[in-house]
Amino acid sequence: MSEQVSTTTGPATASDGGTPLVRARGLVKRFPITRGIILKRAVGHIHALQGVDLDIHAGRTLGVVGESGCGKSTAARVVARLLDPTSGTVEYEGRDITNLSRRQLVPIRRGVQVVFQDPYGSLNPRQSVGQIISTPLRVHGVKGDRRARVQELMEQVGLNPEHYNRYPHEFSGGQRQRIGIARALALEPRLIICDEPVSALDVSIQAQVLNLLADLQRDRGLAYMFISHDLGVVRHVSHQIAVMYLGNIVERAGRDQLYDAPKHPYTVALISAAPTGERGARTRRLLLAGDVPSPADPPTGCAFHPRCPKARLVSGDAGEVPERCRAEKPPLTPVDGAEGHEVACWYPIEAGDEERMREIQTQDITIDGHDVAGGGSDPGIDVQPAAKDVASDSTGL
Amino acid sequence: MSTDSAPLLEVTDLRVHFPTADGVVKAVDGSTFTVRRGETLGVVGESGSGKSITFLTVMGLINRQSARISGSVRFEGREILDASADEMRGIRGARIGMIFQDPMTSLHPMHKVGDQIAEVVRTHTDKSKSEAHRMAVEALREVGIPSPETRARQYPHEFSGGMRQRAMIAMALVMKPSLLIADEPTTALDVTIQAQILELIDELKDQFNIGVVLVSHSLATIADVSENVMVMYAGRPAELGSRDEVFSDAQHPYTWGLLESVPRPDIRVERLVPIDGAPPSLITLPPGCAFGPRCPHARTECTAEVPELRDRGAGHADACILATEEKGRLRAARMKALGVTT
Repeated sequence: MSEQVSTTTGPATASDGGTPLVRARGLVKRFPITRGIILKRAVGHIHALQGVDLDIHAGRTLGVVGESGCGKSTAARVVARLLDPTSGTVEYEGRDITNLSRRQLVPIRRGVQVVFQDPYGSLNPRQSVGQIISTPLRVHGVKGDRRARVQELMEQVGLNPEHYNRYPHEFSGGQRQRIGIARALALEPRLIICDEPVSALDVSIQAQVLNLLADLQRDRGLAYMFISHDLGVVRHVSHQIAVMYLGNIVERAGRDQLYDAPKHPYTVALISAAPTGERGARTRRLLLAGDVPSPADPPTGCAFHPRCPKARLVSGDAGEVPERCRAEKPPLTPVDGAEGHEVACWYPIEAGDEERMREIQTQDITIDGHDVAGGGSDPGIDVQPAAKDVASDSTGL
Repeated sequence: MSTDSAPLLEVTDLRVHFPTADGVVKAVDGSTFTVRRGETLGVVGESGSGKSITFLTVMGLINRQSARISGSVRFEGREILDASADEMRGIRGARIGMIFQDPMTSLHPMHKVGDQIAEVVRTHTDKSKSEAHRMAVEALREVGIPSPETRARQYPHEFSGGMRQRAMIAMALVMKPSLLIADEPTTALDVTIQAQILELIDELKDQFNIGVVLVSHSLATIADVSENVMVMYAGRPAELGSRDEVFSDAQHPYTWGLLESVPRPDIRVERLVPIDGAPPSLITLPPGCAFGPRCPHARTECTAEVPELRDRGAGHADACILATEEKGRLRAARMKALGVTT
C-alpha cells in the first residue's frame, strides 16, 4: 500500500509547488431550472460554480469552506467526475479527464474516492458491512481473498473485523462513518473527497474520525479534498483552504495565514461568526446582514457586495456600495508579501478594518438589489450592534 | 436585565423512564436545575443525553401512557408535572414558547406564515381575526423581519432558512410567554445566520425579560449567549454552573472532554483528544458514574454509586467524586499535553 504510493511522487514531502494530483481550471457548472412536466423548458439556471480553479496536491489536504449554496459540494462532485462541468477542465495526474467516457474513467475512479456526510444514508441498510466494503473490490474486479482484504480494512479504520456480517443499523454513527471510510480506502485511492464527513456526528465522536483521517493521510500519503461549513474542523484538517461564496473562490491561503490574516471581508465575517466559546468573542463578532442570495440570480459584480461591510466602509455610506464592487467581478489575485495567499476583492481587508466594520454595524444597514434565498420581495434586514458588556479576555480552551 | 429572586422554572429530580421490550430506557434520570427571568440556561449534551426529553417533559409533550415520569417541575410557582392535558395546552404557547431545530418541518407548508402565528393568538385568547393578524405582524416585526405586512401573507417556502427560524421565534413569542425553550434552534442554519439568530434570542430575552433555555449539542455555540450552562450525560447533569465558571474552571472530566475534543477556529492543536468509546446504552447504564467507562481518570470508587451533583459554591456544581485539588492537577496536565497554556 504505502510502497505503491511512494513510487510515485513522494507525496508526504510534496510541496504545494509541485505538479498537483488534481488540477481544475475555470470550472463552471450551471443546473437548469425547468418548468413543465413533459416538455421541460429551462426557465433559468442555478449558477453553482462560476469559474473555479483548484489544485489538490498529493499527501495534502485542501479544505473548502463556505455556507450552503456556495458550490462547495458541486465542486467536489465535478472534481470526482460525478458531475460534468458546463465548462472548464479537470486534470488528474497531469492528464485531462474532463471529457473521458464512463469506461475511460474507470481507472481514474480507483484513484479518487468519496466519503459522504450522512453515514445513515450512504450505506445500504440491506447489505452487511462486508458486502458494503467489498463492493468497490467487486466492481473493479480486484482478484484475491476479498474477505481477508475487507477485514484488514476494517481493522485499519478501527472496526472489529469480526463484525464482518453485521448490518449498518447495528453500528453507531461514528462506526458507520468508519465503514464509509473503509469502503473509500478499499481501492487504495490517492485522493479521498470528504463531503462534510463529521457534520452528522456527535462532538466526542467527531474527534475520533478526524484523528483517523489524519492517521490515514500520514500512513498512506492520501490527499483529501475536505468540504465543510465548520471553520474549526477545516482549520484542523487542512493545509490549504479555499473559501467559497456563491460559486466563486473568494479567498485561498495556507491554513494559518487564512485564519491569522484573512483578506476577504466574507472570510473575516465567517471566522468571527464561528462560535469558539471564548469569553468576549461576541463583542468582537462581525454580524453579516441578510442571507446568501439565490444562486439562480447571483448579484452582479462581486457576488458578496450586497452583504459586504467593507464595501460600505469604502463608500463611507452605510447604504452605498462602490460602483466597482457592483459592476466588476474581482479576480483572484495574489496578496502582496504572502506566498500562496490569493483574494478576490477590490478592497481587501487592511489593518483596523475589522474594528471599523463593526462600528458601521451600529448603523442600520439595509440590503438593496437582490433577492435573498427563498425569493422574498424585501430582503433587507436591520443589523443590530453586537456589542455587549462582556469582559474581553481569553479562557483556557 | 432584572433577575427576580423566585425561579421561573424549577426542576427537581426529574426522571423520565420508558419501559420497552428490551428493558427500561432511563432517558432522564435525576435532573435538577432552575431558570430565572432574564437568564439563559444553555443545555449541552450529545445524542441520547436526555436534553431534549427533559424539556419535552417540562412542556408536557411526553405521552404519560408510554413513560414513567417522577420528580417535580414548578413553573411560575406552581407544579405542572401533574397538570392535565387541558391545563398544559393553556400553558404551552401562551406561557412557554417553543422553537425547534428545523423551521421547515415546524411550519405548515400550506398555510401563510401570518395565519399560522395568528392561530396561536386565536387558540389562547378570544381576540378577533383582524386583531390576531395585527399581533402576528407585530411579532414578525419584533424578530427583525423586514416588511412584516407582506411577509405575513407569504408561505414558508418563500422564506429563507434564517427567516423561517425568525418566524418560528415570532410564533413562540407572540403570546408574550415568560419562558422560551429553544431546542437546537440554529443547528440547521449556516454559521453567519446562526450568529444572527442567537443575537436575536438574546436581545428578545432582555427586551421582554423572559427566561430562555437553549438546548444544543455544541458547547461553543450556546456559550456566547448563556448565563448558566448545564452539561448533561446519560440522562443526568454532569456539571451545572455559571457560564464563566464552567468554561474557565470546568470540573467534570466529561466537560473537559467536550472542550478539548472540538476543533476550534481560533486555536489549532496538532492532534485532537477524542473522548474514548461511545455513550452508554440508557437501558443498561454502567454502575456508578455513567461516564466512568469512558473517563481516563476513573478509579474503582467511581463504580460504587451514582455520584450526586455536589455544589462547590459560586453556583457551580458537578457530579464527579474526585477531590477538587486533584481535578485541578489532572486538568492542568491535560492542558499541558494539548500544548495549551493558560
